[in-house]
Amino acid sequence: MPAMPEMSEMSEPGESGKSRREGTHLLVRAGEYACALPLASVRRVVRSLTVHPLPGATAELEGLAEFGGEPLPVLNLGRMVHAPAGPNPAYPVTVVVWVGPAEAREMLGLAADAALEVVHVPPASVVAGDGGFLLGEAPVGGEVVRVLNLEALGRTA
Amino acid sequence: MDVDSTLPAVRSGKPAASRRTGPHTENALLGWILVVGLSLLGFVLLSVGSLAAAPAWPRFVFLALGAAGVLAYGVLVFPFFRRLERRLPEGEEQWGRLEEDLIASFNQLGAGDLVRSTAHTRGLPERLAKISEAASEALSQLAQQIQDSSIEVASAADAVNEIASELASGSSEQAASVVEITAAMEELARTASQIAENAGRQAELASRAEASGDAGSAAVFEAVTGVEEVQKRISAIASRADALGTRSKEIYRVLDLITEIAQETHILSLNAAIEAAAAGADGRRFSVVAEEVRHLAQRSQESVESVRNLLDEFSGSIRATIVATEEGSKEASRVLERSRAAAEAIEDLRRASGDTSRVAQQISLATQQQNAASDEVVMTLREVSLVVQRMTGGLKNLSTTADRLNSLGLEIQLLAQSFHLASPRSLKHLVEDWARRVEAAPSQEERAQVLDELVGGAPFVELGYFSRLDGTTPILSFNRDLLNERQRSLANKVHDTDVRTRPWFKAVSRHWRTTLIPPYESMQNSEACFTVCTPVRDGAGKITAVLGIDINVTGWTRI
Repeated sequence: MPAMPEMSEMSEPGESGKSRREGTHLLVRAGEYACALPLASVRRVVRSLTVHPLPGATAELEGLAEFGGEPLPVLNLGRMVHAPAGPNPAYPVTVVVWVGPAEAREMLGLAADAALEVVHVPPASVVAGDGGFLLGEAPVGGEVVRVLNLEALGRTA
Repeated sequence: MDVDSTLPAVRSGKPAASRRTGPHTENALLGWILVVGLSLLGFVLLSVGSLAAAPAWPRFVFLALGAAGVLAYGVLVFPFFRRLERRLPEGEEQWGRLEEDLIASFNQLGAGDLVRSTAHTRGLPERLAKISEAASEALSQLAQQIQDSSIEVASAADAVNEIASELASGSSEQAASVVEITAAMEELARTASQIAENAGRQAELASRAEASGDAGSAAVFEAVTGVEEVQKRISAIASRADALGTRSKEIYRVLDLITEIAQETHILSLNAAIEAAAAGADGRRFSVVAEEVRHLAQRSQESVESVRNLLDEFSGSIRATIVATEEGSKEASRVLERSRAAAEAIEDLRRASGDTSRVAQQISLATQQQNAASDEVVMTLREVSLVVQRMTGGLKNLSTTADRLNSLGLEIQLLAQSFHLASPRSLKHLVEDWARRVEAAPSQEERAQVLDELVGGAPFVELGYFSRLDGTTPILSFNRDLLNERQRSLANKVHDTDVRTRPWFKAVSRHWRTTLIPPYESMQNSEACFTVCTPVRDGAGKITAVLGIDINVTGWTRI
């Protein structure tokens, strides 16, 4: 697990609490890529859930899992960001996130290879991406991470 | 024997006859005088006795008887003696002839001519002639038997001589062989001594080797025991290493568990951070705790990784230890196997050394016995050598004796051959027969041819020669089986020799009788030979030549 800067160290002086809260991300690994998920959209990190594949589903949709007594669709994060396959993950995780607008948000599971840490990514450091699911890229701890926009994922879904 | 010399009185003849003519008359007169004298003496004695008292008639009777006796003697006896005396010269002449025949017969007999001696007995009285002929015949048979026996004796002696020579030669070779065998046995005895000595040394060395084998066997046994102990230790190490491996796996499982707990803690810290972030400002301190927990989980995971790395190294060392112990165990097994093989080899070597020692001792003992036996054999062989040498000497003496016996047989044969017998084996008879045949041939060439045939048919005759009284030898015949070309050329020199100077001619001409010359060395082939020669007479009985033959002694004895 690469050493990542601690959340306190990544905070910049003079930054407000809201903006700081908005810049806090959960850093996960998907294949060769490190992806930053907005921490406000993250519901829970659990060990990789048992997924039941759905017939006729797309390649990104691994299937349905059970979380809190409710069915939870699980997407493959690595396929979604088109990450090259990395080494076999020792402790894969499923990140339960909120997608969609606040008034109609839904839980979705993202299958990642590992959950790394909570980091703070200043919005200014984000280089704009495609404007959709991939918000942009930002340097975190000497590594370029892909900053994802889960709201866009809700729209897409 | 010369009868003339032994009977000188008999040879006088006539005087003996005249000496026997007178006594017949003298005897008659002396008988008559004796009768008359005795009558007169009786008358006188009777007359003197009657002077005293006797009557006269006896005197007259005795006188009458005397007168009658005188008368009867004069009428009857005296005329008989007179007639006998008149026939006495005729008888004496007949007696002289008988005496001459008897002397001639004895002379021939004395000369050894038993054939001609009987020719002179025809004029003898029948009884005397028969006795003389019987005596000649007995003498002839005796001479014949002597000839035959002497030949047999000579032949037997020659055979004995030959056998004795062969035996002597064989004995000499045997003696030499015995000497060689003795030397070989002595060498064998010496070799046996060396073998015994070497076997003794070998037995000692083998005993030492056996003792060394015992020590080596014990050392190897200890080594085997040590290797077995090492193998047990290695097995124990392997067991313990295996136990460590098992424990390492347990540690791995614990580490996995710790890792899992750390991950769970990590996830839990992340969720705490999420919850803290959701709590806003209230959750700020909680987020710090969550962060510390995450750090703790991270360090725990890092420590687990460190422990895992160490455990990996430890496991690798354990695996290497296990591999090493397995290899060590295998090597120990191989060493143990080799040690056991070495122990067996040493045991075999020790047993072989023991066997070698015992065999060497047996060899030493056997060779010592062989040495003793060889010494006895050598002693026996020396005795045998002495016996053989004595036997060789005896055989040489026997050979010499047989040679002497052969010579004696030959001498007896020659003495027997001095008799002229009516036998083909009588050489005198043979040469006289040849002389008649040669003389009967009409020409010189035919005589030579006859003599060649006769000589060629007699394998014991070297030469035959016909010599005239003037000393020349016109005919000379060879036996080509006995004389080679060079020897015949030597014999031909007789043509240039006056044979009257030769001993054989002188011997024949001494009495003109068939003569046998004692053995001498042949001029031709240097072998022993003797000569028989006889005068050759023509039809009128006149001596015209001498025929001689040289007899090869060896060939004659073979015949």
